[in-house]
Amino acid sequence: MFSDLTDQLDALGARLREALASAGDHAALEGVRVRFLGRSGEITQVRRAIGTLSPAERPAAGKAINDAVAQFEAELESRSHELDARALEGELALAIDVTFPGIAPATGSLHPIRRAMEDACRYFERHGFAVVLGPEIETEYYNFDALNIPPDHPAREGLDSFYLRPGLLLRTHTSPMQVRTMQAHPPPIAIVVPGKCYRRDAIDARHSPMFHQIEGLLVAPGIHLGHLKGVLEGLFREVFGPKQAVRFRPSFFPFVEPGAEVDTTCPGCGGEGCKTCGGSGWIEIGGSGMVHPDVLRESGYDPAGVTGWAFGVGIERIAMVRQDIDDIRVLFENDPRVLEQLA
Amino acid sequence: MKLPIAWLRDYLDVTLSSDEIAARFAALGFPVDDIVRRPVLSGVRVGRLARVEKHPDADRLLVCTVDVAGPKALTIATAATNVAEGQVVPVALLGAQLVGLTIGPRKMRGIDSEGMLCSAAELGLEAEWFEDGILQLEDELEIGADFTRMFRLGDDVLDVEVTANRVDAMSVLGLARELAASLGARVREPETHRDSNAERPLGPALVRLESPDCTRFVAQRVSGVTVRPSPFWMRVRLALAGQRPINNLVDISNFVMFEGAQPLHFYDFEHVAGGALVVRDAREGESIRTLDDAERKLDSRFLVIADEREPQCIAGLKGAAPTEVSPATHELLVEAATFSGPRVRRMSVALGLRTEASSRHEKGLPLGLSTWGAARAAYLLERAGASPDAPFVAGADDAPPAPIRVAVASFAQLLGMTIDANEAAGALRALGFSVEVAAGGDALETVPPFWRGDVKIREDVVEEVARVVGYDRIESALPPVLETRVSSDDYRNESRIAQALATRGYREAVTFSLQPAALQRRYERAGVALPGPVVGILNPLSEDQRYLRFSLLPALLELAAKYARDDAYRVFEIGHVFEGDPEPFETPGVAWLLALPQSAEPAWRDSGFLTFKGESLAFVRALAGRDAEVVSTAQPGWHPGKSAALLVDGRDVAVIGAVDPRLLAAFEIDVRVYAGWMRMADLPAYRAPRYKPASKYPTVARDLALIVAPEIPALDIEHAVRAGGDGAIADVRVFDEYRGPQIEAGKKSIAVRVILQRDDATLTDAEADGHVAAILAALHERCGARIRDS
Repeated sequence: MFSDLTDQLDALGARLREALASAGDHAALEGVRVRFLGRSGEITQVRRAIGTLSPAERPAAGKAINDAVAQFEAELESRSHELDARALEGELALAIDVTFPGIAPATGSLHPIRRAMEDACRYFERHGFAVVLGPEIETEYYNFDALNIPPDHPAREGLDSFYLRPGLLLRTHTSPMQVRTMQAHPPPIAIVVPGKCYRRDAIDARHSPMFHQIEGLLVAPGIHLGHLKGVLEGLFREVFGPKQAVRFRPSFFPFVEPGAEVDTTCPGCGGEGCKTCGGSGWIEIGGSGMVHPDVLRESGYDPAGVTGWAFGVGIERIAMVRQDIDDIRVLFENDPRVLEQLA
Repeated sequence: MKLPIAWLRDYLDVTLSSDEIAARFAALGFPVDDIVRRPVLSGVRVGRLARVEKHPDADRLLVCTVDVAGPKALTIATAATNVAEGQVVPVALLGAQLVGLTIGPRKMRGIDSEGMLCSAAELGLEAEWFEDGILQLEDELEIGADFTRMFRLGDDVLDVEVTANRVDAMSVLGLARELAASLGARVREPETHRDSNAERPLGPALVRLESPDCTRFVAQRVSGVTVRPSPFWMRVRLALAGQRPINNLVDISNFVMFEGAQPLHFYDFEHVAGGALVVRDAREGESIRTLDDAERKLDSRFLVIADEREPQCIAGLKGAAPTEVSPATHELLVEAATFSGPRVRRMSVALGLRTEASSRHEKGLPLGLSTWGAARAAYLLERAGASPDAPFVAGADDAPPAPIRVAVASFAQLLGMTIDANEAAGALRALGFSVEVAAGGDALETVPPFWRGDVKIREDVVEEVARVVGYDRIESALPPVLETRVSSDDYRNESRIAQALATRGYREAVTFSLQPAALQRRYERAGVALPGPVVGILNPLSEDQRYLRFSLLPALLELAAKYARDDAYRVFEIGHVFEGDPEPFETPGVAWLLALPQSAEPAWRDSGFLTFKGESLAFVRALAGRDAEVVSTAQPGWHPGKSAALLVDGRDVAVIGAVDPRLLAAFEIDVRVYAGWMRMADLPAYRAPRYKPASKYPTVARDLALIVAPEIPALDIEHAVRAGGDGAIADVRVFDEYRGPQIEAGKKSIAVRVILQRDDATLTDAEADGHVAAILAALHERCGARIRDS
């Protein structure tokens, strides 16, 4: 009887709804689907009953079952969405302590001296300079004689050196690479030379027997001190900040003429005057000048054809000034807590 | 050099403040290291002691009636013992400001004292350098004059840095000339003695030069000298310049040196044996008793000025006792000489003695200064009542040097700024140069003044002009970008290495290349061979810096000993190491180190090594662009069973491994330490890896548990897997090892994961099984391996 069928479907529907209501997750929901709508589920029992109906009733019965199944599937679907929504709600309701310390990877770092060096070199590479390195063991010829500093010259005094044997010493500046490079290459030359230097200075807050310098050398027709000022301004803007200015003061280094001491705006106070600059608004940062004709000649260059300049700037000085380090020894202690801070 | 502004003002009227003067000097190339501020003094007058009487009620006090040219004489009581009627002395009036005290009315044992007679200390002068008690002034001073102003006692003293090329500026006059040029003013040149009787025939030769290291010697006989204290104006100038006043003769010799840079030496002529001097090398066995009372042995390195008997002076350094000026001196021989700077410097180093004179001589004095120095001394001695003879000159002529020609274009060429002929000529003339502008105005011909021995070439002249014009006028410009043929490879490699290690958790350290012997001692004590002969410093500053580092490792081990604790500690350094004897050489390289806390592990396993190896391989891969091969090695410094060489293209690139436990003990390290070392020269060039398409088909992973003999290395197993895999191996990795009771004795169990994949199709299970069977066969054949029974 058709009415029996609808009763059966109604009853099945009621049980299904009950089961849906108590299905708390997708696994339970799947269980409900299998139990009612699966191949051997309850609906299949109902379908079988179609065979007992008269052929006239069968199409209507088939439609009623199909409609009921569609209805049940929709209810399952809707229950599934409901569960999804509830799960999402639960997920979104979760909160952790985001201030709990993160799990840090092993962190390495470059030494502040290398950072200063690389910042400086990067500027020069952008401007067409090659970066060359050189030996730390140097001959008196390259360290002094070729640079117009003959034996017993008083200028050697400020460059008091460590000797390995007579005639052989640890370079006191990066300047020997001027003549070494010029002897090996014809002009034009545009190089910077970062590296270690050694002077017989007792270690204290401001001096170290080992320190780093960056040497610059530009030799070509038409090069003058204005170009040096421009390049050094660029350098200091790169390593200290965009407002740096450069001031030249006359000075004497035997391998340049005219010679100039290089000051730059004190980055600590921007030129206002502070403890770092002793109130002057400027910090001394290096020596420079036009390459002495004797040095050009010694390098095999013709002073009538080319001019050039050279400078030397202390790398520790750059690192110390821009990172507020008041004692050079900090840089050589390599305390990992400090290196981490400075990286 | 100490520059009393009081003295400077003898030659130049200057109203600038001390700070302004200092800024001027800095801009001229003479940075001022310090400004020594003078005390504020006021209310001090020049007075005459009209009457000096005993205090009626006090034995130790005197009551002076003092004339200060005021409406009435002052009554001043004093405890000083060096006062007498008629003396001219500094008198502080009531209200006067002295060092540390203000003068007020005072009752001294019943007498109202209306001021104070001053001693050196109250006026801010070095007490030990002046008379005990009240300062004694000269009779001719104007009574009532403002004492502080008369002697400019309020003027500060500048500590000026003078570069090695400017010996002329190691003098008050030299610096005055500089400041004058900067101010567009002219100095008042000090007066010198002009021989009024030039026609007079020269006497006998006073000096003979036997060494080329004395280029010029001006000798001047001065008779009729009387030794007494110098006038106060001279004493106060010397004292402010840091020179103790002694007596009029010594003071004049010092005064001329501080004034004009030419050192002088005065000989008591009556004691010059033979009445003439000779400049010669000292003879072996000679000695000299110098004025500082030291007996000094001489040899041929020393240049001396000797009489016919013995050396009387070490040239440019120190005189000798026999001819020293004394109160009995009546006749002087003044030496104003030019010695070889290097020679004086060498003697100074040999004696460990540096004097004001030698610090000037060693810089090489211009010849002309000797003429000036002798004439200036003669003038001052004459003013002190003596009679100078005509100077006797031995050696080179002090004729002016040849003119230097400077094209006006040179200024733009070297400085990048335009300076025309007139401006340049003006600047040079301000510095005392004579200048002629060539017709057309495109060049200058200039002759430096006699005191400027340092100006020799065009570039020197350009600098002089730039100094006066001001370096601030140099304008910034950017040079053209030039194509350079010089390679930056070495630097770039260093940078890449540093970056690659930092990326992998290593912190860069910079340690001293100079090291104490203690480090190599530790190696020796540990029984670990040094890489080669250690290079020593001939003239070390301290024992801590006696040797050059033979390896980067010791310093990193020291850091590990200090800083490696409960966490992993990673550090690296890039630098040069040194070896060789007698010919030292250096090798740039990098060392990296990993320290890990101790952990309990079976003897056959070292997980720390595996961590370090993994990091090191990743590091080399990043540098080379290709993987390194690992072969076992033995190197001093590393554990012989736990170290490996990394090879790229069959060439040694680096050594890595556990640090030799004996070294760890020697460095007092109780954690596990692994280290790697690579020479820069061994760094393989980076080669960009070639593209190979990644397979689109899925992989099949099979884990094999194998039993093999313990000596079979993992690498052999991997090779066997690849050999048996018939090209289907996407990856193979040994990932576990076990030895112990759960397997048969004398064997180890190795777990290996094989990843199979085809490039052209999905691998079927059957194919995978086939490959595994072939792999197992290869493993058995090559390694004697069999599957572990589960």
